[in-house]
Amino acid sequence: MNRPLVVISALVLLIITSAIAGLSFGPLELTNNEIFQCVLFNCANEITDMVIWQVRVPRVLVALVAGMGLAIAGAILQNTTRNPLADPYLFGIVSGAGLGATIANLVLSHELSIALPLAAFLGALFAITIVVLIANVLQRMEQLLLAGVAVSFMLAAITQFILYFGEPFATNRVIFWLMGSLSRVEMSNFYVITGVLVISLIVITALHRQIDALLLGDESAASLGVNVNRLRLLMLGLCAALTATIVAYCGGIGFVGLMIPHIVRQIIGVTTLKLVIGSALIGGSFLIWVDIIARSALSNAEIPIGIITSALGSIFFLFIMVRSKNTR
Amino acid sequence: MNNIIITLLVLTLASTTFSSNGATVSNAKPTVIALSPHIVEMLFDIGAGEQIIGTSAFADYPEQAKSIPVVGNYLRLQIEKVIALQPDYIIAWQSGNPSDDLTKLKKLGFKIIYSQPNNFADIAKEMRLFGQLIGHQKQAERKAKQLLDELDVIKAQYQDKTPVIVFYELWSRPLTTIAKGSWPQQFLNVCQAQNPFKRVATPYPQVNIEKVLQTSIQLIIQPLSKNQTDKQGFNWQDWPIIPAVKNNQILQPNADAMHRMTARSLEELKHLCSAIDVTRQWLLNNNEQAHASH
Repeated sequence: MNRPLVVISALVLLIITSAIAGLSFGPLELTNNEIFQCVLFNCANEITDMVIWQVRVPRVLVALVAGMGLAIAGAILQNTTRNPLADPYLFGIVSGAGLGATIANLVLSHELSIALPLAAFLGALFAITIVVLIANVLQRMEQLLLAGVAVSFMLAAITQFILYFGEPFATNRVIFWLMGSLSRVEMSNFYVITGVLVISLIVITALHRQIDALLLGDESAASLGVNVNRLRLLMLGLCAALTATIVAYCGGIGFVGLMIPHIVRQIIGVTTLKLVIGSALIGGSFLIWVDIIARSALSNAEIPIGIITSALGSIFFLFIMVRSKNTR
Repeated sequence: MNNIIITLLVLTLASTTFSSNGATVSNAKPTVIALSPHIVEMLFDIGAGEQIIGTSAFADYPEQAKSIPVVGNYLRLQIEKVIALQPDYIIAWQSGNPSDDLTKLKKLGFKIIYSQPNNFADIAKEMRLFGQLIGHQKQAERKAKQLLDELDVIKAQYQDKTPVIVFYELWSRPLTTIAKGSWPQQFLNVCQAQNPFKRVATPYPQVNIEKVLQTSIQLIIQPLSKNQTDKQGFNWQDWPIIPAVKNNQILQPNADAMHRMTARSLEELKHLCSAIDVTRQWLLNNNEQAHASH
């Protein structure tokens, strides 16, 4: 049995274990037997039924697909731009979503449950459209990242300006929305994210050899018959749609897209298919565990999920960097 | 005969059920989760404190409120805990609680009532609403009337007084004040304190000290919280050019009572108006002396 297959099997096991753990932890103490009964047969009472099926199951499932989606988007962007720092958020997606969320908070504050994800999604797409237009005008796709950073700052400035003149509580809501949370998710969110994720995976699988060719350099890829700019734009659009959908429902969850692909490269491989499968499996498990910490660490409150991903992610990232230097 | 016995039995059973239902209604008052410190305080005011089974962080008044289980803060609620508590009503703060969590709770079938007091009259209105809802109508009515009557008395007492120019320091770093649309502005309106920044577009504007220097501030109001020391306030002693600083006219009212939208803030209004009046008298006396010396 070859090594990647063993690793992937272990990661699938990790996902299953993480999902079971995700159902077991929470502020309401439930025994393993109660959870097992409730998931497979009938719940002991209405409270257990509500907690398991309306709170924990949607959270675990959305954490799984959101973690997968963010990690895959990061992996694809890093491979297509050949930039190890590429991250879906560097293209202004979160700033755009933040601007959308701000406008929704101020203008449609009574219909936030529908308006907020929609506005955040449109804001994220708006950001990515500007980035792509600028890169097109410059005729240099390698400047996509720089354009993304500039657009990100510009949209953040507009958001802050609007918030400054807005109602003070709206400011708080937007700032903390941007820190990310899975507490608001429901099953319909899971279906939407899964739909976009599946489409992305189909496209990536179909084009994985062409994306691999990009790793050799633009000229080499072009000589192999790859339309470099078109492929890069397609992948960027795909990652943008995937990230925007996740951000719309879960808020800003940083570092997953940047960190997970680097871990996968160390333990599975660098080519697109291996990277994408590994990123999906590790990203999904990672976010389930992060959400477990978010809802269980403090007895009286939840921690925004983005704080934990950034804290854990940065430490783990540095650890991997030091370890790889020592083994080199 | 048998029919009579059966009829009697049915009637007895029916009357028992009726009386037991009646007892349930009168004894078991609805339980409430109150999701902000001001709602908790309001419920204690109308005598419904014991019906609160869950609350949010910082609900620290009255003392008994500290022992109520906390189910979240103004950013995030622990939905599982709310489900486990099974409250009859959730009273939430419209602008100060996470709307997404509340939407989710509503979908799960919980009854959510919103509180959003923007002025003293709203406090009375909400007291009446909560009283009606959770079975304390009489005390709520009494408290609401008392609040509105006291407010009228204070308004009448100060309405013809000479305005005093004040600077309201909401926060020191960055220096932030209040304008129209903010909660503390109504205190200044009632006490006849003139706020030079009242017309600024945003309710809590940040201001440059240069702007403050341009207006002849006669009194500085620097509310401090229980956990806040003098050092966390703006250091006005660096600016003796401001008349209020030169004349040592700086007030430090209780921020916790003033900024919490409950009947307690009316007490703070009384204190503030009376303290502003002391400055007003001081200014009048000094002006008279200045005129006399000329």
